[in-house]
Amino acid sequence: MNWQIPLLCGVVVFCALAILAKDLIKSAISLAVASVLLGILFFTMKAPYAGVFEISVVAGLITVLFMLTIALTKAEGEVKERRWVKIAFPLFFAAFIVIDVLVMKSLLSKLAIAPAGAESGSFGDVLWKQRTFDLIGQLAVILAGVFAVLALFRKKDNHD
Amino acid sequence: MIFLFIGLPLVVAAFMPLIGKISKKFLPDLLANAVFLVLLVLAATSGRQLIAGGPVLQSLSWLGEPVAVQVAVDGFSLLMLMAIALVTLSAGLYSVNYMNHYGSKANYYALLLMMVTGMNGLVLVTDLFQVYLFLEVAAIASYALVAFGLEHDELEASFKYLMLSVVASAAVLIAIAVLFGATGSLSFAGVAEGLRGLNSKFAVGACAALFLMGFGLKAALIPFHAWLPDAHPSAPAPISAILSGLLIKVSGVYALTRIFFNVFGLEPGAWLSQVLMGLGIVSAVLAAFLAIGQKDLKRMLAYSSISQVGYVVLGIGIGTPLGVLGGLFHLFNHALAKGLLFLNSGSVQQATGTRNLDEMGGLAKRMPVTAATSLVGSLSIAGVPPLGGFWSKLIIIIALVQAGHGILAVAAVLASVVTLWYYLVIQRKAFFGKLDEKWKAVKEAPFWMTAATVILALLVIGTGIFFSLVIKTWIQPASDALAKGF
Repeated sequence: MNWQIPLLCGVVVFCALAILAKDLIKSAISLAVASVLLGILFFTMKAPYAGVFEISVVAGLITVLFMLTIALTKAEGEVKERRWVKIAFPLFFAAFIVIDVLVMKSLLSKLAIAPAGAESGSFGDVLWKQRTFDLIGQLAVILAGVFAVLALFRKKDNHD
Repeated sequence: MIFLFIGLPLVVAAFMPLIGKISKKFLPDLLANAVFLVLLVLAATSGRQLIAGGPVLQSLSWLGEPVAVQVAVDGFSLLMLMAIALVTLSAGLYSVNYMNHYGSKANYYALLLMMVTGMNGLVLVTDLFQVYLFLEVAAIASYALVAFGLEHDELEASFKYLMLSVVASAAVLIAIAVLFGATGSLSFAGVAEGLRGLNSKFAVGACAALFLMGFGLKAALIPFHAWLPDAHPSAPAPISAILSGLLIKVSGVYALTRIFFNVFGLEPGAWLSQVLMGLGIVSAVLAAFLAIGQKDLKRMLAYSSISQVGYVVLGIGIGTPLGVLGGLFHLFNHALAKGLLFLNSGSVQQATGTRNLDEMGGLAKRMPVTAATSLVGSLSIAGVPPLGGFWSKLIIIIALVQAGHGILAVAAVLASVVTLWYYLVIQRKAFFGKLDEKWKAVKEAPFWMTAATVILALLVIGTGIFFSLVIKTWIQPASDALAKGF
């Protein structure tokens, strides 16, 4: 049986739940479940390294970070959303699904896709001999994120 | 040597929070500005010699072993590196006085250096995925810098910017994934080669549309502009100067131009060229009219940025050598002049506490240097001779006429007249007329803030007077590089 379509549907549903859930914990868990399903999908598509990273980093580490952060924050009253905001996303989401079902298959069939084999070379080969610069870029992304958090969560020492 | 453009700001940024523990202001000011100065000297001196024989590809080696880290510099990248270095050094000097007001300077400079790392990286890489990575580095730093003041408006503007920018990044990433799937390569040359062999118009069309949406959002072209009039005015003035002067051009115009020319092979008259010209002229004209109605000084400048980026895209979109030359020259001129005007707006806001043009008036009597430099920047962007903006707009208009787009040339002239109108409104409302009683105690901006604006104003004047030298030295090699590719 082809598990990829049910897995993809699961990814979409849990991603939507992550956005729609009012409770941040439920939102983080939904995202983690979506990541696990995506990781399994990577395995079924013969991309085990991507699958391992997706499950360990995104579903594991990042979920733990989300949980810790949520545990450290205090609720400051409920934020009231406008009515149109509440219906905008489900409407957009439904429209997207309809368009997806109707046109995406024929659109994708027009795209020429090069045949993909199983991941070639060892993980180390790919990382160190082919995509080393990506590591520097990702290091810079993480560093920028850390500085952004430090700046946005700093104690305001205006006029010092 | 080329790696220094990425490595130096990255390494100094990494240590900046520690340096901030030793010295809250002096060392962060000194070190960050020293980095900006070194990058400017490198771009202005070594860079020109380096590309004398054509584009240069450099690979990094570690303990004698080559590693897969490769960067390239050609005339187009060097022009961008130069623009980045000039505007960031001016913004850095300006920050010495201006950012005292915000506090946490080490953190501010760390983010600024990360933004420079992202921008420099983006213009030096030769691989689509690395374009995406460095786009994100610059973007993440800029979200935090827009919200740096932590006031409600700043946080809201930053959030809006983040939301729309994420959509842009997603569009770019999908396009990269499709191209990788279709060609099996991520390098510019490899993808270009793969697409030639594939002859798939649909793949090129779909990816071009996604890139247009993604980079169009980053460049704030109409109709993708909604975030910019909120984000740019909310940021601290030196950051507004970098966002409007540089970031929308590097992460929007540069990336779009590089991919369209060197990967898709944009040709004059092709549908891609027509779409770019269409987006460019709509942005140039509509944003000019939208700017007129603004009362907030920085918001008016933000709309002006959308309009001027429209000119740049219009020029590049023509696709002829003259059109590309005009577009790139306008990109450089606008980077300097808009950087200058946003710095001046910061000086005015700090002195008066307002950005509302209706509350100002007669400030030239109290802030003569700010008023004079502001006039220089305004006239350049409005296209008044002999300043740089005049020459670049003239080249774009001549290129439009030569390519048989007379109506677009008339529309571009019309937008330029409207631009002159609202810049004269800024000058009249803010600096001329009778000095209001409440501004009697206003003083000229502090030394480093004034020095930064004077440097930029001199550059704007110099670019106009010596325009043929600037074109020969910096702009023509950039235009040639786009025509030849890597």
